[in-house]
Amino acid sequence: MSDARILDRGYRRYDGARLGARGAIGSLTRQSALRALGLRRTFWAKVFPLLSAIIAYLPATVFVGIAALFPDELLDPDAVIPGYGEYYSFITAAIVVFVALVGPEVLCPDRRDGMLGLYLASPLTRDTYLLAKALAVVPVLAIVTVGPPLLLLVGRTFADAGPESFGDFLTVLVRILVSGLAISAAYTAISLAAASLTDRRAVASAGVILLLLVTSVATTVLVELGGSERLLLLNLFLLPFELVQRVYGELGSEPQLATVELVAANAAWTLGAGFLVRERYRRLQVTR
Amino acid sequence: MTEVVTASGLVKRWGATPALAGAELHVGRGITGLLGANGAGKTTLIGMLLGLHRPDAGTLRVLGLDPTTAGSEVRERVGYAPEHDALPGDMRAHDLVRHLAEVHGLPHREAVSRASDALWHVGLGEERFRPVGTMSTGQRQRVKLASAFVHDPALLLLDEPTNGLDPVQRDEMLALVRRIGTEFGIDVVVSSHLLEEVERVCDAVVILADGVVAAAGTLDALRSGEDVVVVEVVGDPAPLVAALRAGGSPLEVDGSRVTVPLPDDPAGIAGAYDLLRDAAVSTATSLRRLQRRTASLEEVFLAAGAGPQHGDDLARDDEVVSRS
Repeated sequence: MSDARILDRGYRRYDGARLGARGAIGSLTRQSALRALGLRRTFWAKVFPLLSAIIAYLPATVFVGIAALFPDELLDPDAVIPGYGEYYSFITAAIVVFVALVGPEVLCPDRRDGMLGLYLASPLTRDTYLLAKALAVVPVLAIVTVGPPLLLLVGRTFADAGPESFGDFLTVLVRILVSGLAISAAYTAISLAAASLTDRRAVASAGVILLLLVTSVATTVLVELGGSERLLLLNLFLLPFELVQRVYGELGSEPQLATVELVAANAAWTLGAGFLVRERYRRLQVTR
Repeated sequence: MTEVVTASGLVKRWGATPALAGAELHVGRGITGLLGANGAGKTTLIGMLLGLHRPDAGTLRVLGLDPTTAGSEVRERVGYAPEHDALPGDMRAHDLVRHLAEVHGLPHREAVSRASDALWHVGLGEERFRPVGTMSTGQRQRVKLASAFVHDPALLLLDEPTNGLDPVQRDEMLALVRRIGTEFGIDVVVSSHLLEEVERVCDAVVILADGVVAAAGTLDALRSGEDVVVVEVVGDPAPLVAALRAGGSPLEVDGSRVTVPLPDDPAGIAGAYDLLRDAAVSTATSLRRLQRRTASLEEVFLAAGAGPQHGDDLARDDEVVSRS
């Protein structure tokens, strides 16, 4: 074994390329996504994301197993296995828990720790910072909004119980991606909006769940008391999933709502929540 | 480029409160102390140097760029360590420093190796894979410093870098800052309210008071306002005073203490010492003490008018140590 020791590493100047705001957005997006999933963190930080993912994927795994194990003569897969749009009703709870966790996890600690000041002292601006955060949350949410129906599609296809032609397969694939990303986009904006209002993750998470529940219960009660059915466009628990039904060409649980109204309401909630986050950060004082 | 930062007529108000009220600023190469009482406008100025605040009036250039229009470009080439504890406790030091290098535009591979180097330079080579939350205050300050220079900035802005450190940690931190400004060749602006700290590490000082620059320049130039030799004699100073006056030296006498002003030029200073020596020999005067005295930074600070009303906010090191 050598006795050699490094006494002075010297200081290296850096003359290479700098990636500017693009590199900063990429790094912050990656870092935030890893953080939201609890990766490179303690065991406890991984528990909730892992549990949510298990709950989201478990039904798909069971349905794929049924399609693979039971021949068509014994069991009609279409009668037993839900459609891709209907599948979300099995995993709504997992999605809501995931949404409530991810947004606050991605935004709150930076303000609480003071990391926001360090980020804004880099090539990032407030807008590019928020863009990086949104780019991190959408794909993380897609793990539970796109992944499970995608697993169902691939599993059923391999079990010979999937779409009948390659064209049909592509159509379902596009619908899965559009549906999953629509849910992710809407809930990304809502969870980030809640997270922008408080530095405490737990408060923001509770706020997201409360917002979804309160809008759901309040609008349902009001409609049952004779209020306009358009009040359901304020139901955040319902809106994204109702839109998904329309993507699959079905009317869903609220057929009286026009598809264009659902699209507009989802877009309004997404943009409105996004605007709230942007305004909140525009006014935030980092150094003074 | 000889000037790292230039500002002219810089004005910034927070509501009705003026933070900067027409500051004129020229920061050259090396290590510059930004000195001022709490509320003097130091942190506002740092925010403006980073392009985080838009001036209400005046012009500002950092590394030749206008931070209000080229903020991202400026921030890519500037490192910043804020005063407050700004580190996530559950991240490993190396991951954090590497991530901040990437955020400042370094490619991943370069960021990984430079993060290790930076942590070695601040004395945390062996500790680099520990979560920041398990580190001491001194170690966290070092991680913050490593994060600030890991991307090889042209200019480093340090806001109260010794905040919360014990005397030993503070000495080590000041030595590190000095090393960064000299060996590493990175220009540094250190914002501080600790006079002795600035005096120890800085080549130049900018003194802010009430939103304007009350005094600025190299430490030597600022302190040359009072450059004297103080001579304390044993017995009667009259013969020595007479001999000095005969030699044409202006002086002040206070009991047994004679104060002789020194001229600006080195030859004049040598001549004044020669005159003192010859006068002491010719009058057979015994000297108890002969000491050259320049103005302390505290005296410069007070003379600049930045003092009395803010005096409570400024502290010399010994006071801070005794408080902590």
